[in-house]
Amino acid sequence: MSKYWLGLAVVLSLTVESSPALAHHGWAWTTGKNIELVGQIKTVRLGNPHGVLQVDVGGALWTFEVGQPWRNERAGLKESDLVEGVRVRVIGEPAADPSDKRLKVERLFLGDREYELYPERD
Amino acid sequence: MEWLLNALETTSLAQYLRTSRWGYAAVNATHILGIALLIGAILPLNLRIFGLWPRVPLSTLAIVLVPVAAFGLALASIAGAILFSIRAQEYAALGVLWVKLTLIGLGTIAALALHSSHGMKLEEASRAKLLAHAMVSTTCWIGALLCGRLIAFAGD
Repeated sequence: MSKYWLGLAVVLSLTVESSPALAHHGWAWTTGKNIELVGQIKTVRLGNPHGVLQVDVGGALWTFEVGQPWRNERAGLKESDLVEGVRVRVIGEPAADPSDKRLKVERLFLGDREYELYPERD
Repeated sequence: MEWLLNALETTSLAQYLRTSRWGYAAVNATHILGIALLIGAILPLNLRIFGLWPRVPLSTLAIVLVPVAAFGLALASIAGAILFSIRAQEYAALGVLWVKLTLIGLGTIAALALHSSHGMKLEEASRAKLLAHAMVSTTCWIGALLCGRLIAFAGD
């Protein structure tokens, strides 16, 4: 019987892997501290459950998690603002795992204009 | 496969839900309601088989809990399929989703097998058969719930 549980645990742990485009729920996976990054948008996927941008930051490909459609809209972002080739500056929390180049955006800048996705966070 | 996933993503329902705030929340909540009914019914029934509440007749419990679990499964499956359609290609690439679907399939087959031979009169089944079933059932449904929740936290 212990083999049965061990087998199940192995199967579960092996399959918890990846899809680069899906985003994470909540903030538990971040460092809890803000950093700032600047880069050029490579791919965009907006919409529920989370919006995701792949961004070239000085040659490294980062995944920026932006808001759900209502959050982006509340911040004043339009779908046409976030498209391939656009230069973005973001402030947000990176993944606690440094090998995971992923950041959850709290504030986003296009040129000088600031878009606050999470006004209640620092 | 690719064609099917693409077709799912381009349905008007999937397109609407991809940008809708409350529509998406409603389907999400329906999925959770289905899971709550399913697990909330299955777990007490399995615990009864494991030996809890020996004074409550097993078939009496089954008459109430089996239809509730079946209804919960139907609700969760329908809402789940709709949620899947919103991001079909990305979800299909997640290993944990396929583990979840396998567990749901096994749990459903186990339930159908038990109730097709004994209906709600579970006392007819041997003790060993009931125990084995309750163990498989508990593993499948709790496992499916865990895999489902992991979808929101996995992703690279």
